[in-house]
Amino acid sequence: MSETKLLSEHYDKDEFIGLAGYKKHGGYEVLAKALKMQPQQIIDEVKASGLRGRGGAGFSTGTKWSFLPKNNEPRYLLCNADEGEPGTFKDRLMMERAPHQLIEGMIISSFAIGSKKSYIYVRGEYHYPIAVLEKAIREAYDAGLLGKNILGSGFDHDMDVYSGAGAYICGEETGMISSLEGLKGQPKLKPPFPAVQGYLRKPTIVNNVETLAAVVPIIKDGAAAYRKFGTEKSAGTKFFSLSGNVNKPGNYEVPLAYPMKDMIYKLGGGIRNGKKLKAVIPGGSSAPVLTAEEAEKVLLDYESIAAAGSMLGSGAIIVLDDSQCMVDCLANLTHFYHHESCGQCTPCREGTGWVDKIVHSILSGRGRLQDIDLLLKVADNMKGRTICALSDAAALPVISFVTKFRDEFEYYVREGRSKVKGTVLYAEMHH
Amino acid sequence: MPKCTINGKEIEVKEGTTIIEAMYSNDQKIAHYCWHPGLSVAGVCRLCMCEIEGNPRLQIACNTVITEGMKVNNTSEKVRDAAKWGLDFHLINHPLDCPICDQAGECGLQDQYMEFGKYDPEMAERKQKKHKVVDLGPTVVLDSERCILCSRCVRFTDEVTKTSELGIFNRGDKSEIGTHDGKPLDNKYSLNTVDICPVGALTSKDFRFRQRVWYLKDQETVCNGCSTGCNVKAYFNKEGFYRVKPQHNAEVNGYWMCDEGRDVYKYVNREARWLKAQKRTSAGWEEMLPGAAAKDASSVVKANASGTALVLTGQYSSEEYESVLKTFTQELGTKKVFHWVNNSSSFDSFDGLLLRGDRNPNTKGLLTAMEKFGLPASKWADLEAGLANGSITTVVVAGPENQVWFPEMKQVIQTLSKAKNLIWMQTGKNAELESLSGNVWLIPMKSYVEKDGTFVNYKGLAQKFKKVTTVVSEALNLSEAAQLLAGQNLMIKPETSVLVETARPADRVMQEHRKKNEFVMKRGTL
Repeated sequence: MSETKLLSEHYDKDEFIGLAGYKKHGGYEVLAKALKMQPQQIIDEVKASGLRGRGGAGFSTGTKWSFLPKNNEPRYLLCNADEGEPGTFKDRLMMERAPHQLIEGMIISSFAIGSKKSYIYVRGEYHYPIAVLEKAIREAYDAGLLGKNILGSGFDHDMDVYSGAGAYICGEETGMISSLEGLKGQPKLKPPFPAVQGYLRKPTIVNNVETLAAVVPIIKDGAAAYRKFGTEKSAGTKFFSLSGNVNKPGNYEVPLAYPMKDMIYKLGGGIRNGKKLKAVIPGGSSAPVLTAEEAEKVLLDYESIAAAGSMLGSGAIIVLDDSQCMVDCLANLTHFYHHESCGQCTPCREGTGWVDKIVHSILSGRGRLQDIDLLLKVADNMKGRTICALSDAAALPVISFVTKFRDEFEYYVREGRSKVKGTVLYAEMHH
Repeated sequence: MPKCTINGKEIEVKEGTTIIEAMYSNDQKIAHYCWHPGLSVAGVCRLCMCEIEGNPRLQIACNTVITEGMKVNNTSEKVRDAAKWGLDFHLINHPLDCPICDQAGECGLQDQYMEFGKYDPEMAERKQKKHKVVDLGPTVVLDSERCILCSRCVRFTDEVTKTSELGIFNRGDKSEIGTHDGKPLDNKYSLNTVDICPVGALTSKDFRFRQRVWYLKDQETVCNGCSTGCNVKAYFNKEGFYRVKPQHNAEVNGYWMCDEGRDVYKYVNREARWLKAQKRTSAGWEEMLPGAAAKDASSVVKANASGTALVLTGQYSSEEYESVLKTFTQELGTKKVFHWVNNSSSFDSFDGLLLRGDRNPNTKGLLTAMEKFGLPASKWADLEAGLANGSITTVVVAGPENQVWFPEMKQVIQTLSKAKNLIWMQTGKNAELESLSGNVWLIPMKSYVEKDGTFVNYKGLAQKFKKVTTVVSEALNLSEAAQLLAGQNLMIKPETSVLVETARPADRVMQEHRKKNEFVMKRGTL
């Protein structure tokens, strides 16, 4: 099985980046079609397509849009291009290779929800994608695709790019809204939800880059055509960012319910250096890890991965081969979440630091056997206790790594060195 | 009006009430740090977890609005375990320096530990190091390691004073409270941040290291710092008063009070007070008991009854005004009563929150009483003229308690010392008065914490207050002094309020606090 290039058909062509090249391949024809439709028709079409949020949560896009109050209050569309989830790099590709696809999707979506202003919130480190997007937006303005009276439809829309400063938490939708408002990037207490009170306390929809781009083929060929890919509940195609110990890491667009095994061994070209598969993190660093057996059986759709005890998340597949020490890998993750917790809610602020310190104690060879159970207890009590999902994201890998690879943790504690690598992997610094 | 069940008790609440508000107003216990009834909801401490029937996840009570038929409980094992862990997360990086912490004894962490904790700590890692003894401004000191980042102080400066001096800097477990560059925490309400800090992170420069809180009794009273009449709690022991904290009264001060009002306790302690009366004679000063001095002065008052003027400040209770005016107008027959308006240039000012330019608790009460006795609002100039032309020979002054807010004190003393006989009654020491010559009687008075009474605030709200304790036992109140000055014997009779109903909801609470704080020792028998 090969890729299904619904969105990425022309990603290999450099001309697709510019407006002229994009138009040559049918660009902005869908916008013209959409502007002749009723906004509600577009929402219904997106709802019918079964499109689910591609950023990680997998919530139905059409349903999300219908949460907006039915009045004339000003509203905003925000494109979440913060892409902070470790292992994920699909949005970057989409922005770099097809900025107009995103812009077209955003104008259509804005028309559907009645938004006159949208922002693309791009991760701070993405200097090049920001430059590409800014150029594309200028081109769109010059061509009358943005601004007043778009394509003679009477619909006005403005679009801007906003650069984040590189905080993971600003990928959380309310954290992103805080950041966009000029506040410290911290998630907001819900309720009220953004659809009711978001950016500048106005109704706001936040969608991922891939979600908004997918609106284009849905409106082009209709919901039924989109539903030909994937399953009943997980419709359409999705980008997967394959990384780790595989021969051909990269972004692959496949229909949902594509077998993980094929992703790793066919598209990914198999495990590097003839090693064996040990584990897979299937949906970005916060998704619970799957063992090799679990991973080889699973299909890449929301339900199958959930049934296997993990989540599809952002579609970042991190492959680990048998030369990896799982204690070391977990330490990498706990360090990340410890560093990225915004510090608002106590369980996350204190918990991420606590588990990080315990894992590093083990890694430096001075762990205690009770630390392994303590890790599980602490992680369990970080789950579901905070404003946003960062705390859960930090707890899930801890629970899955310790539960599924407990022998490696116990070995490390007992012997004071890694079971896989045979040495101490961390020298604790005095701080 | 949705009905709900909280811990098995059926409650009807107003639309939009959150669970924690309902529990708070129904005397149900719920652990919380970040929520404060006077501030916005932050929802960050995650301690007020409760179980809602039909919802598998625990919810925070502070941000969950009650809906019809909601069944809530916060006593189940699941909730208690969540609270225990919530507390543990607060404590893992806490320095646990209770023995040297000023908050010990009234600390949220200690309270909740006794409720949910009592476990052996499992934290075996290095604690997070943060800044200690951070000088936030002229009134407040921060210890970041003790801080639990509940953000109450930040929200207070954002929402109440709107000065936004404080913020949370850095991220994750490195987060710390701090002030923005070059802008210290310096506003007239800064010490409220210390009150609302649930732990020992923010301490008052004035109070820190001066007294352990368990050696203090407290009682509610009304602040005499200005005409707002904030409801406060005064903390004291046998050595005197140590601090004043606000008490909630929605009609008067809400949850707050100003920093200047917190200083009034200093003027009632013995160091600041006249302990004995003094009479100036040709041989110099003669010390007397206050009652004896008043009796002694009565001879000149009675002899010069028609030439006696009474100068009153707005610092006494309505009952005292009633009594002193009755005595002076009916017994002595003088109509020369003058209102000493202090700080006249800013008398009518208001800072928009609580603090009023009229730095007297009972100006309204004084003016009402004067009106009642048919006394015209006599002009200060008449007094000066009377002194100059000799029609006024004897002046009786009920002087201020909080002299700092009487900047013209020196000048008034100069003016009034022109009288042949000067009888000056007040609580606190004053060097100017003590260096006068001529016929002078200085008589110590009781301070507002040493007597029962009523203050009528700027908007006419009468607030009754009860005696807190005795600091100078011989001091007189104004009623007693007036009787003695009129040559009568002191009548001991129970105080009766001249004003009918008090607007303070606190009488019941006050009694309870009193009981609670009484050091009762049960005596054994042989």
